[in-house]
Amino acid sequence: MSDSFTADVTESVDAPPVVDTDEPRRQASSIEMQGLHKRFGADTVALDGVDLTIEAGEFFTLLGPSGCGKTTLLRILAGLEDADAGELSIGGRTITEVPPHQRSVNTVFQSYALFPHLSVRDNLAFGLKMRGLPAAERDARVARIAEFIKLGDLVDRRVEQLSGGQRQRIALARALVNEPDVLLLDEPLSALDAGLRSQLQVELLRVQKRLGMTFVFVTHDQQEAMVMSDRIAVLNGGIIQQVGPPRDVYERPVNAFVARFMGHDNLFAITARQGNRLTTTLGELQAESPGAGDLLLIRPETLDLLAGDVTGVNHLPARVTERLYRGSHAEYCLAIGDTTLQATLNNRGRHLPEVGDRVTVVVAPEDLVTLSE
Amino acid sequence: MRKRTLKRGLTGFWWLTLTFLYLPLVVVVLFSFNASNSAATFTGVSLRWYKALLGNEQILSAFGNTLILAICSSVIALCIGCLIGYGMYRHRHRKLGWLIVLIYLPIVLPDIVFGISEMAFFVQIHRLTGLLQPGLLTMIISHVTFQIPFVALIVYSRFVGLDPTLFEAAKDLYATPVKRVVHFMLPTIKPALISAFFLSFTLSVDDFVISFFTAGPESATLPIYIWGAIKKGVSPEINAIAALMIGAVAIAAILSLTMSRRRQV
Repeated sequence: MSDSFTADVTESVDAPPVVDTDEPRRQASSIEMQGLHKRFGADTVALDGVDLTIEAGEFFTLLGPSGCGKTTLLRILAGLEDADAGELSIGGRTITEVPPHQRSVNTVFQSYALFPHLSVRDNLAFGLKMRGLPAAERDARVARIAEFIKLGDLVDRRVEQLSGGQRQRIALARALVNEPDVLLLDEPLSALDAGLRSQLQVELLRVQKRLGMTFVFVTHDQQEAMVMSDRIAVLNGGIIQQVGPPRDVYERPVNAFVARFMGHDNLFAITARQGNRLTTTLGELQAESPGAGDLLLIRPETLDLLAGDVTGVNHLPARVTERLYRGSHAEYCLAIGDTTLQATLNNRGRHLPEVGDRVTVVVAPEDLVTLSE
Repeated sequence: MRKRTLKRGLTGFWWLTLTFLYLPLVVVVLFSFNASNSAATFTGVSLRWYKALLGNEQILSAFGNTLILAICSSVIALCIGCLIGYGMYRHRHRKLGWLIVLIYLPIVLPDIVFGISEMAFFVQIHRLTGLLQPGLLTMIISHVTFQIPFVALIVYSRFVGLDPTLFEAAKDLYATPVKRVVHFMLPTIKPALISAFFLSFTLSVDDFVISFFTAGPESATLPIYIWGAIKKGVSPEINAIAALMIGAVAIAAILSLTMSRRRQV
């Protein structure tokens, strides 16, 4: 895949490749953060020492609850906020002190921030105009991005005539048209309804893959983060908790915070261990290669339910207390002694146990994960 | 049935109020076209008083003074008030209570107190330095002082109504500080600036009390001229001036209103 925006645009419309010698053939840029600290006022710590490397061409997501520091980190990348301490470089160039209007970084804002006094076309051309590009080239680039994002006749509308989803795409195009080293996205989909949101997730992902541009995406939605990202950094209290590909973060969370934030509820205290045998509040379980830590994570979708009492390794007798039928799958609440366990069963035409049924919960030893609090 | 009666009563009250407000103006406009110089009986339509206005040099000079005063003071107040409005917006998170009160005090202060203070101030300055002899310059200065709070308030409320992220978007899209002012802030608040200008202009044309205390012998404005003229009795010429002023103020008010309507978009 080419790193050049121009080449991909022409590709996308199936036209013969245009040789555009004015276009800088720019490589995607990596981002390096070292020891970033940021405080607001006397006792609000937004970032408490962030070291992070984002690879060139990566779709990287900063994930965390509100107030975790993810937006502050994004704003520091944009230059809209200054770090109290630490170093920031993009594409090998230190830009800690560079003001936002001199950074080759553009942002898609949560509120879209389209200029109300300008037409859609002038909004798109704003960045190019500020950089002093001649009008002819501005028009050409705006036309190209409009084609690429498939804006159609939106370009000739007024901003106030646009719907939320349309504004979102204009905001994306307004940032992309500048061909920045890095594109920052601050919860750009959070104001949209669910259907449009998943549609735009796919579209955004396609755009990023096609351009090979480095995207840094901020969200508090773990589903969205998993769908979109090459890698995710989970933040809490201004500290990075875990960095890794979505599967790592979801299946092997390093601590209870990450596990809970990724949506896991099945966490059980390990009271004793003997080799691979763990004693937990659920009973005795066999794990394949348990790591350190005194919490056991069981993902609901790794569980199987057998009818009646069956004995074997990692077979636990349980009673169904609640069932939520969701069509493609069913969610179960199970009582094992005094403890509640959640399970998800795929609906593959098999028998789905009813509330009140006695069942046996089965979990494979390799699906058990230990982690620390 | 009762509801309908109430509704009719209220509609009647509305028309009564309008009549109360506008009938005197209608009378003045009507008598400005009176053929005779009687203020009591209307004898026929004529433009003789408007023609008389054109031949009256005192009135023409007063008219000129009024225009110069209104335009100069409005332009200056617009520049200063705009900066103050932006400053208030930028520092809106700080506790500026007392400062805001200081800026708005001229709005609530009685004109007569304001006028006397301005006069006393200019007299002292003149005594000490020989500058600021009462005249158009002192009038412009005092008009600017009472116009500034209105401009600042209008500009401030326009900024407060904006999405604060827009300022960041302008920075993010490579706009230098100067370009941010030229390509973002001024175009965005343009409707507010236009309506602030018209409001200042109207306030200045309208003002008698403050002008009266700060004017010099050569710088009488229309309101001052009228006040002086009616001491000799009401002339139909005065009606003609009044009619013209009503027209001018109405036009300015309508323009200001349409500008602020458009700004809502």
